[in-house]
Amino acid sequence: MKVFAHGFMALAAFVIVLPILVVCASALNGGRSMLFPPQDPTLTRFAEFFLHEPVWRNALVNSVIIAFGSAALAVLIAWPVAYGVWKRRSAASKLLAGLGAMPFALPPIVFGVGLGFMWGFSGGLGEIWSGVISHAVLFMALPLVTISIGLQSIDRAHLDAAATMGATPAATFRTIILPQMVPYTLSGFFFALVLSFNEFIVMFFVSASGYATVTLQIFNSLRNGFTPTMAVAAITFIVVSVIVFSAVARFGDLPRLMGADPSRK
Amino acid sequence: MSAVDPPSLASSGTSGRSRRSIMRPDLFQTVLWVLILTLCVVPFVLVIVISFGQKIEGAAWAFGFTGANYQRFFVGASWPESTTFLYLTRLWYSVYYAVIAAALAVLTAFPFTWFMTRMSRAAQSRWLVFLLATLSLSEVFIVMGWDILLSNRSGLPMVLRETGVTDWLKVTGWFDVLREWGMANPRNVKFKTSEFATILTMSYLVWPYAVILLYPALSRLDPSMTEAARTMGAGPWTVMRTVVLPSVRLPLIGTLFLLFVFLLGVYVSVTVFAEPAKQTLAVSVYEAVRGSTLNAPFGAAQAVILLITGGICLWLGQILVNRKGVTA
Repeated sequence: MKVFAHGFMALAAFVIVLPILVVCASALNGGRSMLFPPQDPTLTRFAEFFLHEPVWRNALVNSVIIAFGSAALAVLIAWPVAYGVWKRRSAASKLLAGLGAMPFALPPIVFGVGLGFMWGFSGGLGEIWSGVISHAVLFMALPLVTISIGLQSIDRAHLDAAATMGATPAATFRTIILPQMVPYTLSGFFFALVLSFNEFIVMFFVSASGYATVTLQIFNSLRNGFTPTMAVAAITFIVVSVIVFSAVARFGDLPRLMGADPSRK
Repeated sequence: MSAVDPPSLASSGTSGRSRRSIMRPDLFQTVLWVLILTLCVVPFVLVIVISFGQKIEGAAWAFGFTGANYQRFFVGASWPESTTFLYLTRLWYSVYYAVIAAALAVLTAFPFTWFMTRMSRAAQSRWLVFLLATLSLSEVFIVMGWDILLSNRSGLPMVLRETGVTDWLKVTGWFDVLREWGMANPRNVKFKTSEFATILTMSYLVWPYAVILLYPALSRLDPSMTEAARTMGAGPWTVMRTVVLPSVRLPLIGTLFLLFVFLLGVYVSVTVFAEPAKQTLAVSVYEAVRGSTLNAPFGAAQAVILLITGGICLWLGQILVNRKGVTA
């Protein structure tokens, strides 16, 4: 059984890694074609992506601005919503959280179309700031979940003890709740950051060709076929994702964040 | 953050300070509600409202209250003179691809997640990092990878030819079967364009989601239950069938429905891998809203149909879960 388990997991990992490896290796192609295995291996495409081609550099800057901006905003909105559910446990708070998570749970293309209309009416279509807000709303569900998990892990006896000793709600929040919530908040931030970095369809409708993120730029370039420079973008994204999630795993309890039983080791 | 303290904490006393603290939570809650309703609900409402609007020839579109877009969706614009089911066919393909890809993802992700949750916490962490990194990859990159792997110049068709599998398929007669299925040209096996490539990519896209969604339920399963069954002489498959699967059937159903709804809106995989005649509603939503036809109300109507399809599925899933929950 153990052999079967390991074999099955290895096979699954192989299939998952296969297209990623192929894309990464294709970045080394000397020519303009995406051949696998790569021909005339070179690192020129990396220099093109990061230094020489303004189209890719601008797209990368836009991706970074939108990812960081939207992740921060998502956390800022998710915090009071999750806190409200935890503190009040009322139907209204739960409804608010449910509405906040709705864009993530429904087909993203529908939300993208709706946001496109909304920004069209309010003058935000094709603006970076509306892209930031759009992704913040789309990915708010992620910090909402991680912050809620964190709040549930707070021992209410600590809060009662603080209250008995005369601590104001603000002091209790500052000295007990907030320090315990840092890893959960950061995890939510990073989840939103990485998914925003890679998101395509909502950004496609919201940007309205006013600007391009890296994924949009790749999609726009598809008309001329895949090129090895695009593959450099893929490598960048994978490296960022691995670093971010490794950091989350290193500094937080990743299995617990993903829903594992906290009491089991 | 005292702004979101419950009113009960701030309602004692009638001093100015107390009154301010009573006012602030209400104001903050109102702002929060307005924010969430505006950003999370208004876009969906707009899609619904605009779906009843009309396209103005030579111009953009105007608000209205016409069912013409829905009529065009179900029976065509020229009904009753002529009838076309083009968009219903596209809806069918949306559902067809999504159902098979979601089922495939859950079927393969389930044993993987089960084995993963039996590992040490550190090993689970490493697998989770791996899965999350792949999960966060854009659909564009995934399609790019599979496009190379399935292309006729390199990738799997080349591997099959070089290893002699193609010749073997020709000798055994399977090659003709593949040609009938549209998965081979006269010379070699081909995957682009095909239903196989579309479903494979879609399934790949949601596979890490399937693991992440099944992970909580499987990792929280009490090990003593399976150990007891094993002690009583049950083999691993019997334990899986009689203990594990019944215990996690609700998360399994939930995962299946969530993946299905997510896959309804997949766009890049379908445009690259599906034949034009077998493309989905997501593609025609794009064509209507941003692409060649530029008919926002009709695009919105199609988006509403997609939304309703997803909603119905989630609702059915909920009913199924509740019924099973009651009988469990």
